[in-house]
Amino acid sequence: MAEVLKANDPKNREDFLDAIAKKANRPRHELKNDPLKLLNDLPETTLADKTPAELLDLAKKNSELIHVDFKTVKADQLAANLTKFIEEKEIKSLMLPSFAADKWADFEILDWKDELELEHLYFWDEANGRDNLINADKSDAAIGFADYLLAESGTITAATVKEQGRGFHFLPTHYLAIVPQSKILPRMRQAIDRYDEALKQDKLKTSNINFISGPSNSGDIEMVLIVGVHGPLDMTYVVIEDR
Amino acid sequence: MGLKTSNLTFDERVKKAKQDKFMQAAVGKAQDAQFEKRTRAREELGNWNGWRDLGEQIRQHVIKYLPDYLEEFSANIEKNGGHVYFAKTDVDATNYIKQVAKEKQVKKVVKSKSMVTTEIDLDKELLKLPGLSLMETDLAEFILQEDNWDEPTHIVFPTLHKNRDQVREVFQKIGYTGDNDPEHMGRFARKYLRQYFMEADLGITGCNFAIADNGMINLVTNEGNADLTMALPKTQIVVMGMERIVPSLKEAEVLDNLLCRSAVGQKLTSYCTFSAGKLADELDGPEDFHVVILDNGRSNALNTAFEPILQCIRCGACLNVCPVYRQIGGQGYGSIYPGPMGKVLSPVLDGGYENFGELPYACSLCGACSETCPVKIPLHELILEHRKVEMNKLHLDHSLNNVIFKTISVGTKTPILFKGALLGEHLALKPFSNKKENSVENLYPEGKVDKVPKIAPSLIHGWVDVRDLAEPPKVKENFRHWYDRHQKEKRGEING
Repeated sequence: MAEVLKANDPKNREDFLDAIAKKANRPRHELKNDPLKLLNDLPETTLADKTPAELLDLAKKNSELIHVDFKTVKADQLAANLTKFIEEKEIKSLMLPSFAADKWADFEILDWKDELELEHLYFWDEANGRDNLINADKSDAAIGFADYLLAESGTITAATVKEQGRGFHFLPTHYLAIVPQSKILPRMRQAIDRYDEALKQDKLKTSNINFISGPSNSGDIEMVLIVGVHGPLDMTYVVIEDR
Repeated sequence: MGLKTSNLTFDERVKKAKQDKFMQAAVGKAQDAQFEKRTRAREELGNWNGWRDLGEQIRQHVIKYLPDYLEEFSANIEKNGGHVYFAKTDVDATNYIKQVAKEKQVKKVVKSKSMVTTEIDLDKELLKLPGLSLMETDLAEFILQEDNWDEPTHIVFPTLHKNRDQVREVFQKIGYTGDNDPEHMGRFARKYLRQYFMEADLGITGCNFAIADNGMINLVTNEGNADLTMALPKTQIVVMGMERIVPSLKEAEVLDNLLCRSAVGQKLTSYCTFSAGKLADELDGPEDFHVVILDNGRSNALNTAFEPILQCIRCGACLNVCPVYRQIGGQGYGSIYPGPMGKVLSPVLDGGYENFGELPYACSLCGACSETCPVKIPLHELILEHRKVEMNKLHLDHSLNNVIFKTISVGTKTPILFKGALLGEHLALKPFSNKKENSVENLYPEGKVDKVPKIAPSLIHGWVDVRDLAEPPKVKENFRHWYDRHQKEKRGEING
């Protein structure tokens, strides 16, 4: 390979884009005169009229359809439920996010976290750098916080932050997500709207947003559903009831 | 592998496919299962045609303004600290990717499922680099790789043609000792691949949609391997067909919903991710993020009748309804893009009909593909268009067809000729007609006209071996008689 191929090179870009415009027989830079206006408002209106109670029911139904263990608990029961999860799954090594104390306190699990006794307790922590990935791989489970829960599809969403990274959601064997009932949204659209606005207003800084609907699965061998191929083998959602 | 997957002729491929009874049964079963899942998912969403309108509108709009959106997208990648390379051909793309791999002294590559990287034969090219090893991490692609790079048979379910025992044999070669239970084999692959993931230094993914206004890429998967590919290695290269772009996250949301329901009948797949190179304070994800934007013949469609094929979102729904695909499976087509979308796309990407000239004819023009397409590509019309263009390019003689169709035109426009022709046909077929009731049964039980003596010219066999003939109706009966009878049956006045 004699020639070095340069990325981010204006000539490489312009030659390519000009060639497309020429083949299409359409001049460039006409988009500003014809911005996209969608033909209908189905994305915004579908399921948008559901009450919080209806959304919770729908979220439960749709999560269970995709093999999620769905629990609804009062805030003061969360700690006991997390302990039960650890016991039931026989978790020896656990990964937790490294959010500040007030977040744990908000969910009434600060003491629970500080008093945890396990063979290995890992935090997705700045000090560990990329070793967080090794720790996550070694973890029997992760317990994390979801940004939203989507009623239509039983999907939890999480934007990557330094306290809770990408591999956090994928490497541990079991996974539990905590989400307040007030964060249940009708569909993916409402979550996208919130992320889009937060990103554009610089309120959220992230390079990665995960929409996760149940455990990892595959139908690649004879179309038989295998649950748990690369990501977690099972998923638990714990919804904290509105006070 | 590249776009072309086979050196056999079309006839040879079809003959081979017809002998593969397991494949045919598997494809039929998959089509039927997917039909139910897809229909249910679409009905549950409601207003499916309204959603399809949006899908079509978004895709047509971005293709109309493709250079503008690509310019915006590439500017945002650069702003985020990433690298964009525009590749006109497969060779440009693979050269750039090999260059990055060399610069980074890459030893282990993990790939998540990507049609476009198969199209440019990236795996084989990368493996030419000394000291580099590579792993396809999607379960199906992993099976194909370990089975000596077998050809995929479907764009969403690449190993549809393999049964569990064949998969077990493949896995036994790499140390599997268990039974043929898919779940046990899945666990084996998980462990095997996880180890490799942890050591990988380059991740390569495709791209379902690229978000122009923030420079993220959107990947829609079920296994989670794409997300591991985007989390673990320090370098990531995304390879995307230049048409896979959307204005913003909002349009991606519409298309993801169409894609997941159409591809696998799910509301959303297990993982739907929007991602770019890592930010400085994040602790995982790629430190070095490259996007290769590929033309490789896609621009051949621009400003031609075939432009709508660029709307395609690779859901595979058209494969799942195609009666021809059902018979010959993916490998019958000889292209990594099989089925109706492949028949339209393969000759476009290839820039002619030399390799894929037969594909537009492997179609009954039933239109089921166009009907199911979530972004409303008029697939069967484009297949017909290929036939026209190909005929003209090859300067094939169509004078006989012209005479036949002119005669039909005159005949159908002149009542006396039309009625005369019908009477003539009825009288000629009288010896074969059912004397009792009209019926839709085939005249011959095997469903094909195979009564022609073996010594007849092969041209005749080419016609009759694959065609059937319904029992001709009684001479005096026509559609009105059948309709009256059907109505009476429905009312229970006579037995059906």
